[in-house]
This record gives sequence, structure tokens and C-alpha cells, in this order.
Amino acid sequence: MRSSVMPLGPTVSRDRIITSFPKWYTPAACLQLREHFHGQVSAACQHRNTGTVGLKLSKVVVVGDLYVGKTSLIHRFCKNVFDRDYKATIGVDFEMERFEVAGIPFSLQIWDTAGQEKFKCIASAYYRGAQVIITAFDLTDMQTLEHTRQWLEDALRENEPGTCFLFLVGTKKDLLSGAACEQAEVEAVRLANEMQAEYWSVSAKTGENVKAFFSRVAALAFEHSVLQDLERRSSARPQVGDGDIIRMEEHLPETQDSKRPSSPGCC
Amino acid sequence: MGTKMANLDSAQKLLGVPPPPDGVGGGSCSGISTELIRSLTELQELEAVYQRLCGEEKVVERELDALLEQQNTIESKMVTLHRMGPNLQLIEGDAKQLAGMITFTCSLAENVSSKVRQLDLAKNRLYQAIQRADDILDLKFCMDGVQTALRNEDYEQAAAHIHRYLCLDKSVIELSRQGKEGSVIDANLKLLQEAEQRLKAIVTEKFAIATKEGDLPQVERFFKIFPLLGLHEEGLSKFSEYLCKQVASKAEENLLLVLGTDMSDRRAAVIFADTLTLLFEGIARIVETHQPIVETYYGPGRLYTLIKYLQVECDRQVEKVVDKFIKQRDYHQQFRRVQNNLMRNSASEKIEPRELDPILTEVTLMNARSELYLRFLRKRISSDFEVGDSMASEEVKQEHQKSLDKLLNNCLLSCTMQELIGLYITMEEYFMRETVNKAVALDTYEKGQLTSSMVDDVFYIVKKCIGRALSSSSIDCLCAMINLATTELESDFRDVLCNKLRMGFPATTFQDIQRGVTSAVNIMHSSLQQGKFDTKGIESTDEAKLSFLVTLNNVEVCSENISTLKKTLESDCTKLFSQGIGGEQAQAKFDSCLSDLVAVSNKFRDLLQEGLMELNSTAIKPQVQPWINTFLSVSHNIEEEEFNDYEANDPWVQQFILNLEQQMAEFKASLSPVIYDSLTSLMTSLVAVELEKVVLKSTFNRLGGLQFDKELRSLIAYLTTVTTWTIRDKFARLSQMATVLNLERVTEILDYWGANSGPLTWRLTPAEVRQVLALRIDFRSEDIKRLRL
Repeated sequence: MRSSVMPLGPTVSRDRIITSFPKWYTPAACLQLREHFHGQVSAACQHRNTGTVGLKLSKVVVVGDLYVGKTSLIHRFCKNVFDRDYKATIGVDFEMERFEVAGIPFSLQIWDTAGQEKFKCIASAYYRGAQVIITAFDLTDMQTLEHTRQWLEDALRENEPGTCFLFLVGTKKDLLSGAACEQAEVEAVRLANEMQAEYWSVSAKTGENVKAFFSRVAALAFEHSVLQDLERRSSARPQVGDGDIIRMEEHLPETQDSKRPSSPGCC
Repeated sequence: MGTKMANLDSAQKLLGVPPPPDGVGGGSCSGISTELIRSLTELQELEAVYQRLCGEEKVVERELDALLEQQNTIESKMVTLHRMGPNLQLIEGDAKQLAGMITFTCSLAENVSSKVRQLDLAKNRLYQAIQRADDILDLKFCMDGVQTALRNEDYEQAAAHIHRYLCLDKSVIELSRQGKEGSVIDANLKLLQEAEQRLKAIVTEKFAIATKEGDLPQVERFFKIFPLLGLHEEGLSKFSEYLCKQVASKAEENLLLVLGTDMSDRRAAVIFADTLTLLFEGIARIVETHQPIVETYYGPGRLYTLIKYLQVECDRQVEKVVDKFIKQRDYHQQFRRVQNNLMRNSASEKIEPRELDPILTEVTLMNARSELYLRFLRKRISSDFEVGDSMASEEVKQEHQKSLDKLLNNCLLSCTMQELIGLYITMEEYFMRETVNKAVALDTYEKGQLTSSMVDDVFYIVKKCIGRALSSSSIDCLCAMINLATTELESDFRDVLCNKLRMGFPATTFQDIQRGVTSAVNIMHSSLQQGKFDTKGIESTDEAKLSFLVTLNNVEVCSENISTLKKTLESDCTKLFSQGIGGEQAQAKFDSCLSDLVAVSNKFRDLLQEGLMELNSTAIKPQVQPWINTFLSVSHNIEEEEFNDYEANDPWVQQFILNLEQQMAEFKASLSPVIYDSLTSLMTSLVAVELEKVVLKSTFNRLGGLQFDKELRSLIAYLTTVTTWTIRDKFARLSQMATVLNLERVTEILDYWGANSGPLTWRLTPAEVRQVLALRIDFRSEDIKRLRL
């Protein structure tokens, strides 16, 4: 499990508190249609039985062509600013965003990669271990949508199949009229379905859908983390007392670590 | 009169006399009117009214009495008031007098201050007049001064005059022209402006000549004059032009030297990094030497402009050096070959990773040098801005910060280096992967060692690669390399170890026979015949066994090495971060990548555990199980005589302990202490579980129970000596079973159960206690059933 203990900082700001499950952007291309938390998850949250998820973070990697607005999207969400000047990202940038989902603290670690071809070698070294892959394209430039396939393929190569949530995000929504946007979305939704990704249209300039989108990302990543944790623990439980040797240690204080040799000498 | 009434009224209030209650008292206030009385005809009614009137009369009388009582006090008050009258008149007179005096003083003061104000105005005007007269005099003096200075070629003096003129208030000059001598001043002004133009032209020309001749004192002389003429930008741009030329010529010289360097030179491998270093050092020296002049004559905040011009030349020179580097070292060619190798995994024209070693080192060195140089510029410029912006608004400061970031991040040097590092990362990845593969292929094991050579080799390589990335001083590059190393260790290298463990710990022929044979005699027999088996087969299985155990040790060392690697990297990087490398998020990026690396250490730990379980179930369990099963062949339903005989000729436990000891000795020699410890722990757990099973299959009498208790005690005593972990806990259930089997009577259990259990925590359920009790053939089942547990 990729996890690291976070310093317990100040409380989460109010607009990062997620109590009800954020909705999809379009039902035509979304990862799940449910509008509330998974039963097991909300039960676990109520009983504060989420294990170590509260101390966990999920890694989010944002990829896409240069100048589609990856950095702008992240800066709009994390710092609530929009800079008109284009500044190419060199290598990778990094933001940490703290949430409180269903009463449990949770963090997203957002890696903003460079879109320029010449920085791809460095950027691709950061794709590994992602729980969420956000592939961004420019709604006004359909060529960038075409390239998302390649970006996604590169990012998936560094991750184990089936471990990541995929999002396809169209940026610069403010530059399009309603009709033009709808037209672009049809194409994007088709591709999203092909990729098995969830589709969103956003604008970093106006801030439209930006918060809703990241809340959705956080909620899905959080739910997945909790479910995975519950599953791991429940799969660990039946082994206890199964007659196999190691499970004799059930009553020892280091029960949770029973999968590891917990001799003090080995650390 | 009116006042008197009022006084009376208030006096009444003061005395606290309550006003008459409503509706009662006060002649006219009576509720019964004369008309009402007249209209009455009935005696009864009349009497009633009369009664009421009498009542009212009494009330009125009481009130009157009360009022009369107050008369005295009111009269005395009145007397006092009358006495106060004259005093009040006196006070009034005094007050009027005071008011008159105040009014007088006020007008006097106003009178005085208006004069002062007039004086002040006059003084100010006087000062202005003097200032203007001074200015006009200055102007004249400047006009004269400029002419003479120009004639004497004293350009500093002339520039100082012009500077004075430029500093004068333009409106003053405008006003002076409107005076009587307007035409004279006009003419003078014209002369002055001409002189200014002339001086500008002369200075520019002289500066150009001086730069052409490379006459540094003259260059500096005229450089100092520019700001006096208000030509800051021009001065800086011309001066930097001169400096750039110097940088360029020096750089060209250096580059020529490089091309002529002998390949056997000691620094030949890093010659391009050295050239860049010389270039950067040259520029840094220029900045160092000329910063004081710029600061003194151009004011703070101008260094940015100078460096902006210099950076253009620096970029040009860097481009040349890097171009030469790419060409001479075949950098792009090498990269393409590496990429092909990585992509196709084809054996065709595979690059020997060792060939890449020098070029990789050189690239990181080049990047480190440019990072150092850029950091130097950043420090200089921002401290210069700081001095200039000490009074400036937050916006101006941010604007300056932004332009500084833009200059340093977007300069060609930064971009070129980023590109080189991008290619470097891929080549370094290839270098690491290939060298690791080679180390795995050349893996050797030396007798007496716990681990094989590849673990040390692989970690040496990983450390080397990450260390090289670190030496580039680029945090992004370092983090990328840590990520790549994490992937390499987690997937490729772990797979190697995993596959070795998958081959399993071979069951020996010796064990195969054991499995089929149950009698202890036969085991002894066959073990005596062991030498007869095909030795070749045993040899290879021995090898496989050894390989399995060595791999276990390897896995353990890997997980330890990863932790060590993390610690070393952490301490190395604190140095780097303390120098302020890599912006605000650098530490967070680094920590995140490092935590991924540490997670791999745990994966190795899990793998070790898997291997141990495998070892336990394939190597230990098949052997231990039959040994324990022989327990069944030893009767525990014994008489005194047999019990004593057992004492002399132990039927089971001594042999069992001996077997265990022999078997574990084999592992102890070839496993690391930590792993051996885990293994013995697994083994003792196995023994406990298996022994419990056979005990539940046996039958006991009183002496048999005692015998079992003795056997268990010696077994626990032995196992305590071989493990560092406490094993009492693992044997708690068995010990409790022995206690139960040792009881005199069924009901004796109650002395130990429930409220009487004391410090003992029962690990056996009531049902299990009954089950164990039932193993005693001398206990009646009705008694057991009757027990209340």
C-alpha cells in the first residue's frame, strides 16, 4: 500500500469537507452512478472504522498535451488563482490538498507533469503508483483529445492494470459556446467510454466545475481506499484461527502485523 | 407667583409626599355628584350614599392634616430661598464679566495668529523665492560650468552640471522664462540643452572607442557618466555589451582549448563540464567586480538589468558548448540507441552500460554547475532587489520576483539543461537496469557467506545511480531516479528473488521415504541406508536447498538495504535542502518518492514471510509431523512400573528433541539469525499445533497424564533454549491440557476454574476442557457431564 503518515496539521478548510457523494458530470461517461457512499464505507466511517485511511493519501497524476491547462486547473483548485501568462511546467510540480470525506481526513497528492515532449522522460518517471490518472485535453483543440490515448497508455504502463481511476477532462470550457461545447463533448464522451474513464468539462479561468470535479476525484479515491482496506482486513481475519501455524499469535498484541515477522531485531 | 407654585410643587415632591390617590379626595373629585343625591328617593340608597360621603370626608380630613403638617418645613425652605436671592445676583454679574473677558482674549488671539500666519506665508514665499533664485543661479552656473567643463574635456564635471540641471524643477525653469529676463534665460537654456545633447553624443562616442580599445578604466569612467545624464538603461546595455564581448572571447578561447584537448588528459572525461564551469565562473566574477559600481552609480535594483543582458550572452555560449558536447560525445545518438534497446529489448547492438558511465557523470556535473550558477544569480539579484524595494509596495516586489523567476527559469541555459537531464534520466535508467541484470546473471555464492553476490552488487548499482542523480543537484531528476529505482527493485529485482523462491525448497528423497513410512524403526533404518541413494540427485537437491536459503537471506538483506538507502538519502538531502535547492515543494516531492521506496522494503519483508512459510510447510512440517505422530505409539495408559521404566528409558520426547535439534542445526548454519529466529518461531507454533492434535487422539490414565506433563515440560525447556521469543504463550493450551490430564478427580478442575483460576487465563473452552477430561480413561463420563463450567 502506498501510504505515508502525514503530519497532523490544522483542520481542513470548510470547502474541502465532503459529506454527500459528489455527482458525476454526465451519466454518459462516469465511473459509477451511485449518488451516495457505498454502504460498507459509510458504515465504516460512522464507526470510525476506516483503519489507516485517515492517515493515507492518494496519488493523482495529471497528464496531457502542453498548453491544455493542467497547471491552471490545479492552481485554480489548490490556490484559487488563474494566471493568464502561460508558463511551461518544467519536470513535475506537486500540490498536496487536504480533504475531509464523510468525517475522515483524507489527502490528495497531485502531481502536475510537463506536457512538453522534451520533458517527457522525467515526467514519465513519476507515473508509478498512481491511484488516479487525470488525462486533460483542450476542448477547443480536438487534436489534443486525440493525443489523450497516447498519454493514458504511457501513464498506465507504469501502473498495475485495474488499480487506477481514470478521468478524461476537457479544459477551457469558457472559450466555447454552449453548442460547440456539446459537440466537442460528444466526441470526448465516446473516447472516455472507450478508455473506461469518467468525463468532465471544466474551466480554470471561470472556475466552472473545478471544485466539483476534484471533490468527485477525492470521494472516489477515498471510497476505493476504504473498501480496499476493509477487504484487506476481512481477508486477513478468516486466516486467524484457521489452524495454520502463524495464526496462533491471534492473541498477541502484534495481531495486525501477524503477516510480518515482528521480531525487534529485524528492523 | 408661578415660580412659587412650582417651588411648592417641587418641594412637595422632594419631601416625598405621595400625591392623593385617584378618585378619592379633592372636593370635586368625589364620585358622588349633587345631582345624583337629589335624584335619590329611597332611604336605603340615601344612607348608602351618606356612608360613602362620610368615608370620603374622613379621607379628605386626613389629607388636609398631612398637608398642614408640612407647612412648617415648607415655610423654612422658603426663608432659605429668600436668603439665597442676593447671592445669585452677585454670581450673575461675575459670570457676565467673565464672558466679556473671554471674548476679548479670543479676538486678541485671533488677531495675533492671523499676523503669524501672514508671516509664515511670507517666509515660505521668501524661501521659494530664494530657492528659485538659487535654481536660476544654479542654472546659470551650470550653463557656464558645462561650457568650461566641455572645453576642458572634464566630462565628469560637465555631467554633474547636467545632472543638476536635470534635477531642477521643470516648472521653476518655465516660470523663470516668463520673467523680465526671459529671453536671456531662454538663450541660456537652449545652450544648456545643446550642451546636454553634445555631452550625450561625446560620452556615447568615447564609450564606444573605449570598449573598442578594451580600455577598462575609460570604459568604467564613461559608464559612470551615463546615469548622471539620465541614461541608466543605455549605460547598462552598452556596458553589458562590452562585458558580453569579453565573455564571448574568453569562452571561444576555452572552447578552442577543449577541442584541442588530448583524450588522455586527466579531466578529458568531464572537459565540457569544466568548460561550462569556466564560463559560469567568468560571468560570476564579472558580476562580483562590477556590482559595486552599478550599485553606487546606478542605484540598487539595477543588477537585474545587467544580468539580463549578460545572460543572453551566457545562453549563446552555453548553446555552443552544449552543441559541441552533443556532437563530440554522440549524446543524441547514444540516447537513441538506449531508447531502442529499452523499447525492443532486442539483442542487436546492445550498448554496454559501462560505456555510458562517463557521459552520465559529465551530464550530471554540467547540470550541477549550472544549478550552482543560477543559484548564485538568484541570490545576487534578489538581495539587490531587496535593497531597492525596501520601501516598495507588495505588488512591485511580486512583479520583481516574477521577472526574476522568468529570467532564470526560461533562459536557454535552464531549458538546455532540462533537456539534457531528460535524456540523462532515460540513459541512467538503462544503465541501472542493464547493470542490475548483469549482476543477477553473474550471481555467485561463496561458501560460508549467508547471501550471494547479487544483493550487494544490485544495491551498489542502485546507490550509484541515485547518487549520480543526486549529484546533478536537480530535485526533479533525483526524485525521478528514486522512482525508477523503486520500480526496478519492486518489479524486476523482486521478481528474480520471487522466482527463485517459487522453485521451492526441495523435498529430499530422505523426506519422500519418511512420508510413506510411519514406524520409527523404519525411519532409523532408512536413514542408515541414506548413503545408498543416488548421490547426484542429492547433490542437485542440496544445491536447490542452498539456493532457497540463500535467497531467503538475500530477501531479508534487501529489505534492510532499502531502509539503509532511505536513511542515507535523507541525510544527504538535508544538506541539499539547507542550501535552498529546488523551490518550496522540493522537500515534499522528495519525501513522497522516498516513502514509495520504503514501501518496497515492506514488500520484500512480505516475500520473506512467504518464503519462510513455504520452508516451514515443505521442509519442516513433513519431518516434524511423523516425529510427533510417534507420540501415539507410546502408551500413556501406564502402571507404576512402566512409569518408572519410562524414567530410565525415555520413550519419545528425548528422541523428538534430538531430531528437532538436528534438523534446525542445518538451517541455523545457513540462515541469518533474524530469519532463523522467525523460522524457529514458526516451527514451535507447528509443534504446538501438531502435538495438540495427537494428544487429543491419545488416552491417558493418572500416571500417563503425569508422564505427558513431564514430557511437555522437557520439550518446553528445550524450545526455550533455542528461541529468543517467549514460547510459553504458544504452549499455553498444551500446558493447560497437561494440567487437566493431571487431575486426581474430575471435580478438582473446579479448583482451577472460574473464580478460582487466579492469575491463570484459560485458553481452553469449557467444551475443550470436557474433551480433554474425557481422554482420561479413569474419569467417568457422567462426572464430566455433571461438571458446571
